[in-house]
Amino acid sequence: MLEQQLINGLTLGLIYALIAVGYTMVYGVIQLINFAHGEIYMLGAFFCVTFITAAGMPFYVAILMAIICCMLCGILLDIIAYRPLRKAPRLAALITAIGMSIFLQNVALIIWGSRSRPFPQAALPSFFREKALVMGDVSLTWLQLFIFAVAIIMMIGLYLTINKTRIGTAMRALAQNKTAASLMGINVNYVISFTFALGSAMGAVAGILVSVYYNTLYPTMGYTAGVKAFAAAVLGGIGSVPGAMVGGVVLGVAEALGAGYVSSLYRDGVAYAVMIAVIIFRPSGILGRSVVDKA
Amino acid sequence: MNIGKSLTLLIVAAALTYPLVPQSSDYIIHVMTLAMVYMILAMGLNIVPGFCGLLDLGYVGFYGIGAYTAGLLTIHYDMSFWVIVPLAALNGALWGALLGAPTLRLTGDYFAIVTFGFSELVVLFLTNEIWLTRGPLGLPGIQPITVNLTWLNDAWYFQFYDKTPNFYVVALLVGLVFFIMRRMEDSRLGRAWYAIREDPLAAASCGVNILNYKVIAFAISAAIGAVGGCFYARWSMFLSPDMFKFWESFLVLCMVVLGGLGNIKGALVGAVILVCLGEVLREVLTSFGLPPETRFMAYGLIMVLIMRFKPAGFFPAIASSGRSNPLLLDLQKRLAARNAPKEEPRDAAA
Repeated sequence: MLEQQLINGLTLGLIYALIAVGYTMVYGVIQLINFAHGEIYMLGAFFCVTFITAAGMPFYVAILMAIICCMLCGILLDIIAYRPLRKAPRLAALITAIGMSIFLQNVALIIWGSRSRPFPQAALPSFFREKALVMGDVSLTWLQLFIFAVAIIMMIGLYLTINKTRIGTAMRALAQNKTAASLMGINVNYVISFTFALGSAMGAVAGILVSVYYNTLYPTMGYTAGVKAFAAAVLGGIGSVPGAMVGGVVLGVAEALGAGYVSSLYRDGVAYAVMIAVIIFRPSGILGRSVVDKA
Repeated sequence: MNIGKSLTLLIVAAALTYPLVPQSSDYIIHVMTLAMVYMILAMGLNIVPGFCGLLDLGYVGFYGIGAYTAGLLTIHYDMSFWVIVPLAALNGALWGALLGAPTLRLTGDYFAIVTFGFSELVVLFLTNEIWLTRGPLGLPGIQPITVNLTWLNDAWYFQFYDKTPNFYVVALLVGLVFFIMRRMEDSRLGRAWYAIREDPLAAASCGVNILNYKVIAFAISAAIGAVGGCFYARWSMFLSPDMFKFWESFLVLCMVVLGGLGNIKGALVGAVILVCLGEVLREVLTSFGLPPETRFMAYGLIMVLIMRFKPAGFFPAIASSGRSNPLLLDLQKRLAARNAPKEEPRDAAA
């Protein structure tokens, strides 16, 4: 029982971590809570399914196409909604982000309808539903292993991008001090667009993995997932990429244990309660450095 | 009296007499009542982001608390509306203070997120505590507000009762809240809030206890939200957790921002515009055969556009750049005058 809950929690937690990374990167670079990030995650799942059903693409190609589309959406979101407000008060940018979130969610409702739909099973590799490992009551499916592998590979890739490449260095410089970075010849808008694209790609993958895992997708799925991922980002320390990863896993496990041992009704409540508690008692999060508020 | 003021009075008077006209349409009365509910909410919310400069994304939580307080008290204890209003307001203020006291130390985004989490927890509570709220089934059978009008003659009584006294009750509440807000705006309290919004550091160094004033603001704002919910419960006669989702908070925030952050009249105008816009959009979109979601899409887009081109709304409050704000300068001058004698010896010692 406990081991099974831990495995389920870990699976969810890694997915939360993938979304949380998108929040935390954008926050780190431009200090904006990108409320529309949950919608990018939802779009990822819908693009993937649409490419499979309407265009008849194979699963892996559809994933790749969905990622590319979501990266474009992320960049467009930044250019259209956030770039004009770079120098505006924080309140204005935050409200714009909420506005974009509601706009995108309802666009998806109009395009794809409000009913939840199953993930086209025929397109999935057949081994996904099989059990990879059974030990007594505990079992691990190939799908869960696939999610672990994808999430971990993406995290390592992200870590290397941020710490070992030129553009990663530019991102870190921007997070430190935007003005100084631009004086050093960094193209600020280009780097911000890159950050959005990277975060959106991770979000899209998370959306696809969740819709395969639960075998369902619906246009409002971005809302709760977005909140939980944000809670994970806060838990780990907003602005810190390793923090978001740790926060996501901790939150996923906490949620699975809470649902299993306390009350499954308050499953979503765990995320909010954890978020409020962390913000009150340790605003800088588990791995975050304390930030000076620049509002 | 200038033209604008006379025109406003004329419109208000016309709106207030409309339900007494025998041919009045129930639909228009309904829309006007709805607009007034949102006026109360918009005025209440305006205190936190408008006066104090803190984004409150959980306002609907207090609205829901007020509504369920009123609904449950009506169903189980059959209390009069005028007893319930202060009770609901107190309950709202209590939760506002409970949430505000630990969290108002936070600034900016963190505070917005905590309030957001709070409102989500309220919805979860209302959905899951079935013994109290009947959960997703909702709370039906709340008695409407009754007004004893036996002193009127039969013809008038019938007409008045038929159009429901709700309209006048909510109009009274709007008037009351408006009056309180105007009094607060010009008081010590209002000036302290403005000072905090414009420059917390300057306000603190002028001797304003920032945390106390913020908690008071948050509690008052929550109480007003609860009053709005209280009326809504008795008016709609049915409550369900779905009515208090994040979307409502966003709608009220849109009203406040559209009207102009920190401007009381702006909040009123914002409420009327968005409620009417909602109705008009519904008519227009359904006549084109478009799904109702397009309406919400339009709201989201409108919000983005307002922020892009009119970040301070259509009726902005007093100049929002810290140094030139006359209210802040006035506050600083007064405090400086009061503190001046005390500072002299320190200067001499130095």
